[in-house]
Amino acid sequence: LESKSLPRPLDGDVEPKSFAEMFPMNCHSRFLRLTTSAIPNSQSLVSRWHLPLGAVVCPLAESPDGEEVPIVNFASTGIIRCRRCRTYVNPYVTFAEAGRKWRCNICSLLNEVPGDYFAHLDAVGRRIDLDQRPELTKGSVEFVAPTEYMVRPPMPPLYFFLIDVSISAVRSGMVQVVAQTIKSCLDNLPGFPRTQIGFITFDSTIHFYNLKSSLTQPQMMVVSDLDDIFIPLPDDLLVNLSESREVVETFLDSLPSMFENNLNVESAFGPALKAAFMVMSQLGGKLLIFQNTLPSLGVGRLKLRGDDVRVYGTDKEYTLRVPEDPFYKQMAADFSKYQIGVNIYAFNEKYGDIASLGTLAKYTGGQVYYYPSFQSNIHREKLRHELARDLTRETAWESVMRVRCGKGIRFTSYHGNFMLRSTDLLALPAVDCDKAYAMQLSLEDTLLTTQTVYFQVALLYTASCGERRIRVHTAAAPTVTDLGEMYRQADTGAIISLFSRLAIEKTLTHKLEDARSAVQLRIVKALREYRNLYAVQHRLGGRLIYPESLKFLPLYGLALCKSTVLRGGYADVPLDERSAAGFTMMALPVKKLLKLLYPNLIRLDEYLTKGSYLDDELKNAIKRLPLTAESLDSRGLYLFDDGFRFIIWFGRMLSPDISKNLLGQDFAADLSRNQVNFTELNHEMSKRLFALLKKLRETDPSYYQLCHLVRQGEQPREGFLLLANLVEDQMSGTNG
Amino acid sequence: MTEFLDLEAQDGVRMPWNVVPGTRQEAAGCVVPVSAVYTPLRPFPSMPVLPYSPLRCRNCRSVLNPFSIVDFAAKIWICPLCFQRNHFPPHYASISDDNLPAELFPQYTTIEYASPDDRPSAVPPVFMFVVDTCLIEEELGFLKSALLRAIELLPENSLIGLITFGTLVHVHELGFGQISKTYVFKGSKEVNKEQLLEQMSFFVKKPRPTTGVIAGVRDGLDAESIARFLVPASECEFALNSVLDELQKDPWPVASDQRAMRCTSTALSVAAGLLGACVPGSGARIMAFIGGPSTEGQGAIVSKSLSEPIRSHKDLDKDSVPHYHKAVKFYEGLSKQLVNQGHVLDLFACALDQVGVAELKVAVERTGGLVVLAESFGHSVFKDSLKRVFQSGEYDLGLSSNGIFEINCSKDIKVQGIIGPCASLEKKGPLCSDTVVGQGNTTAWKLCGLDKATSLCLIFDIVKKESPDATIQSTSNQFYFQFLTYYQHNSGQMRLRVTTLSRRWVAGPGSVQDLVAGFDQEAAAVVMARQVSFKMESEADFDPIRWLDRALIQLCTRFGDYQKDSPSTFSLSPRLSIFPQFIFHLRRSQFVQVFNNSPDETAYFRMILNRENVVNSVVMIQPSLISYSFHSGPEPAFLDVAAIAADRILLLDSYFTVVIFHGATIAQWRKAGYHNQPEHQAFAQLLQAPRDDADTIIKERFPVPRLVVCDQHGSQARFLLAKLNPSATYNSEAPVPGGDVIFTDDVSFEVFLDHLQRLAVQ
Ligand SMILES: [Zn+2]
Ligand SMILES: [Zn+2]
Repeated sequence: LESKSLPRPLDGDVEPKSFAEMFPMNCHSRFLRLTTSAIPNSQSLVSRWHLPLGAVVCPLAESPDGEEVPIVNFASTGIIRCRRCRTYVNPYVTFAEAGRKWRCNICSLLNEVPGDYFAHLDAVGRRIDLDQRPELTKGSVEFVAPTEYMVRPPMPPLYFFLIDVSISAVRSGMVQVVAQTIKSCLDNLPGFPRTQIGFITFDSTIHFYNLKSSLTQPQMMVVSDLDDIFIPLPDDLLVNLSESREVVETFLDSLPSMFENNLNVESAFGPALKAAFMVMSQLGGKLLIFQNTLPSLGVGRLKLRGDDVRVYGTDKEYTLRVPEDPFYKQMAADFSKYQIGVNIYAFNEKYGDIASLGTLAKYTGGQVYYYPSFQSNIHREKLRHELARDLTRETAWESVMRVRCGKGIRFTSYHGNFMLRSTDLLALPAVDCDKAYAMQLSLEDTLLTTQTVYFQVALLYTASCGERRIRVHTAAAPTVTDLGEMYRQADTGAIISLFSRLAIEKTLTHKLEDARSAVQLRIVKALREYRNLYAVQHRLGGRLIYPESLKFLPLYGLALCKSTVLRGGYADVPLDERSAAGFTMMALPVKKLLKLLYPNLIRLDEYLTKGSYLDDELKNAIKRLPLTAESLDSRGLYLFDDGFRFIIWFGRMLSPDISKNLLGQDFAADLSRNQVNFTELNHEMSKRLFALLKKLRETDPSYYQLCHLVRQGEQPREGFLLLANLVEDQMSGTNG
Repeated sequence: MTEFLDLEAQDGVRMPWNVVPGTRQEAAGCVVPVSAVYTPLRPFPSMPVLPYSPLRCRNCRSVLNPFSIVDFAAKIWICPLCFQRNHFPPHYASISDDNLPAELFPQYTTIEYASPDDRPSAVPPVFMFVVDTCLIEEELGFLKSALLRAIELLPENSLIGLITFGTLVHVHELGFGQISKTYVFKGSKEVNKEQLLEQMSFFVKKPRPTTGVIAGVRDGLDAESIARFLVPASECEFALNSVLDELQKDPWPVASDQRAMRCTSTALSVAAGLLGACVPGSGARIMAFIGGPSTEGQGAIVSKSLSEPIRSHKDLDKDSVPHYHKAVKFYEGLSKQLVNQGHVLDLFACALDQVGVAELKVAVERTGGLVVLAESFGHSVFKDSLKRVFQSGEYDLGLSSNGIFEINCSKDIKVQGIIGPCASLEKKGPLCSDTVVGQGNTTAWKLCGLDKATSLCLIFDIVKKESPDATIQSTSNQFYFQFLTYYQHNSGQMRLRVTTLSRRWVAGPGSVQDLVAGFDQEAAAVVMARQVSFKMESEADFDPIRWLDRALIQLCTRFGDYQKDSPSTFSLSPRLSIFPQFIFHLRRSQFVQVFNNSPDETAYFRMILNRENVVNSVVMIQPSLISYSFHSGPEPAFLDVAAIAADRILLLDSYFTVVIFHGATIAQWRKAGYHNQPEHQAFAQLLQAPRDDADTIIKERFPVPRLVVCDQHGSQARFLLAKLNPSATYNSEAPVPGGDVIFTDDVSFEVFLDHLQRLAVQ
């Protein structure tokens, strides 16, 4: 494949419109995307499709103002569901027998309409109350769940923090930033006044904190019998935040200084994890782990892996990417069972075995945040922002998700961060707008006879306000008999999302190379299949042809193979970084993933010198450039933005004035050091730049883009920061 | 009597036999053993403290003393204990008849040495508070305020540690300085010293020493780490106050049919381990404040289920107590550890329930610890006793530490052992008797804790064989005893106190009169009391009444005046005449009649008996009774129900309890408030007099006794009646002058004496 000749996704993710056009009552594509909106009606079509057949679901995707998901409370009526297949009432059900019956769109069963829910039908068979019934007109709706949907009273939002306070954690400044950030978020944690909070810190010992509201200051209790961990207090390790607010604040204020002279180099992480589990298991909630030192003591201790070069490139290489100790998976299973979602914040300076730690997040619907060699003077803002978002974003608690679909098709596999509770029930102890899940479909029957198939996503969860709710997204798609139609209705973003997840999973059982070639092979097969459909009629010979819908697929596929998770050989990406990227990408919604794969590259110097703040001008100014070295003019200043970081590239011939305006007097100094002090200066140009960066960050708040500055030719920094990410270039990734 | 008191005033010694039966046979016939009750640290205001090291006999290591025969010309002294001739060293060159060193002054048979080389110990006194939190809020409140008051009295330089416990053990890091911080240990799990240090992060800053036992800074333990847990009183007052202020009762839920989880033994073991690691060999006290029965850990005395009652004497007698032996074994182990470390366990047990004093006794007694038993932490017995521990001034206890007690005797005397608060150092030697009593089989004992009052009861064996020819030198008509006590004075200085005694011995026919003349019946009663207590604890199926009765009869048979088989002719010399009365009261005392008390109370009474001097012990055996009335000044009254009269006030001192008892009329007047009226000044004074006398008693005594103020026929009157001779019981025919009868089946003293006379003359 010659990448330069391929169309470039310089406008980012383009959601296919046909989906909504054909079925206007479908839920918005931010919630559900199918890899193709034309569902094949036969096995033979499926086998010639070559691309994954499935969906990407982001059940809690953020809606813009005015498009909020309506909340429906059936109250005494009870929630209307199909008696047989348990489908929720939705816009695609039909009413019959003068409104006394309704027919399930998924299984076709004729259900009774409960008396309270009855409404007469109009001439065309529509209910006359349709305009007051969002569940019958909108693809996305949220039902308030009655007590039948609870196995216990809805839990309060609960945040529990497990913080490494070993010497390196303290010295890096992590502990201080974490303490300050948590404190600054206390007013914005969801669920006031029911929110609960608690803390454990650890080094070679486990430190619990009594936060009882009547105390004037917290009490620290150290348990160090690592073989036999117990909790030192029956209550008050987890407290109601509003009642114990003062004690919690005192704790957060004193936390950094309590350990400022700590010389402990050990990490009893495993025992600390068990301790956290014991405290949380009664209620569940969210466990945020701040981890700096490789677990060295007690159960779950980990060792340095990957220093055996003989493993590289062999069939055994993947073992380094999976957890070594079953402890972590077992803990994750326990956490999931007790409604505990785990987020990992890792700050290791050296190897930290993210592969093992990340397992905790993976199976509990959580997330891995990785700050290699964290130093607070550099990474403070990034950590602060991302932790604050984690703490304050709307979160769904103790949730389960199921996706139903019409007769004849079935979801067969699920990909993302969760634990499968039964064949089709995803356990998600804590879920939020930044999490997406992919799944694959297969045909159960050899032939689908229906014209339309329906999909219904149902997320049963506890809202932070304490209400038990069911969020339901419903969509319909036509069945087709024409392979070409399948290709034309394809959704590259959904396909790439599925591909990414499948490829990442493959790296856990195979060589990187195998994972890459599997992706490439399927793309090639699909395009060959498509060409074969049309070669005859267009006489195009050996040329590559693709439908409009798949025009970016080859380049995204290429980018995926060059991404952190799949790139090169073992040594091309540090092990931890690769693992962390894997865990992150498994959870990313489509748009974020595509941006990560094909980041924005924009030229800044012209915009900065022109001097205007107008929005439309900004839009013009930030024209995206192809990700190739040819885009870089050595007289220019460029911004590379993959959604996770900013890389600002200073061309060799860039006007010194610009450098000086942005960097201040020591603009000629080493940029890697300058990065620490890269702050807004009292200069028009600097202000413009920072305003731009701020704007860019605001459009995509799920992660914080930390600025990395690099000068043209400054090796090896330029190489790994930017050049490796110019996915269209040969040099980016050795085996790309 | 007074000459015995004089001897005590000079040397702190009381001996039943001040003329010693000189042969094995003779001694055997004397029933009461040759013994001494010695108070090693009894204060003597005029006793010199010599600023140099003592001279020792090069044969027997005994110290030069006033009984040594000195040849001033030859500069030689003869050791009175072994007759070894010793040369004086050159710095004694100038001694003469007129220039004697103090240790040779005849009046300084007790003297102290403070060697100038012994600099005051670097480690100040250490107090490790071990506080029970399984208490009801009210009790916890009492305890907290008592501790807060005590803390104010602590010496500035003393080091303080704090452990609180309930279900779990919390070791407080008082030196942390930021927030309250504790290290927590499971109550059910033993932690050894190594694990303790590891788990309390002792090796973070300074790695574990590679070899040897870790004990203190000298052996490589990080001083900074020690300072986290043992903090000078002057520095930790704030931390300690805030910890105590916020101390909560044990938060773990307790089912209504359960006892609280209380891991007393684990807490004490952690305390001992910590002190052993941090300050081995220097004076440290574990002060345990316990408010209920231990139900968790090795030293549990009862299960958690309330359906299982706490062991009684009956249960112990039947040997049907599952926890008892295990607990005692644990505390024996703990006491060994503490003795090795030189540390003291003090016990403040305050609860309506038993807490396990009986099991803890071994650890408290072997380490010379203090013990206080009260019903509540709010009771003055506890509050005032605790204050006394730290109070300085006239009534200070004179707490000292790290004592070692050694003994030397003339060669015909051996030592059976010591009944008292000490532990054998297992230093065997020719001086050890084959018969062992108490802590025996040694000539050296450890006294981890000792104070002004600590009194040891030494039991000797006379091993001299009867020899038909009496060609013994006159010098050897004396037995010599030398008691050496090394201890850390509360100034921190190491001291050696030397008491050398000389007693004449007699043997053969005609010795009876001499023996009787030297008989100290009070001391004898006290020795008998300690012996009978000891035997009751250590000998299975021991019958104390039978043993005491036989001893008394034998003694009366041997030393009484009578014609055979004629009870009416029986009389005793004044030297012996009250002894039967002591034994009568001893038979009825809490030491022998244990079934009226709980095992905890018995253990408590015996521990106090085993550490008190003769005068106080006699009060425990036979309480004193003083009568106050308008007719005469205060006068001693017979401990008899006949002492009760409507117009009298009685002051009973039974050591543990002081009772002021108002006769019915007095009580009536008092209720009417006459003493508040100016015309009844005399009545006010009469009321006040016993109060003043009671205050005097209470002020001097430790533990502080319980004060009971009661009226005739009132419910509290039982505290008096229980101690009175039942000369008039509900069985008596004759009406009683005072109008009170005692509901008891005990025999009265008259009946007892009657029997005694009959049996003695047979
Ligand atoms: Zn149905
Ligand atoms: Zn000698």
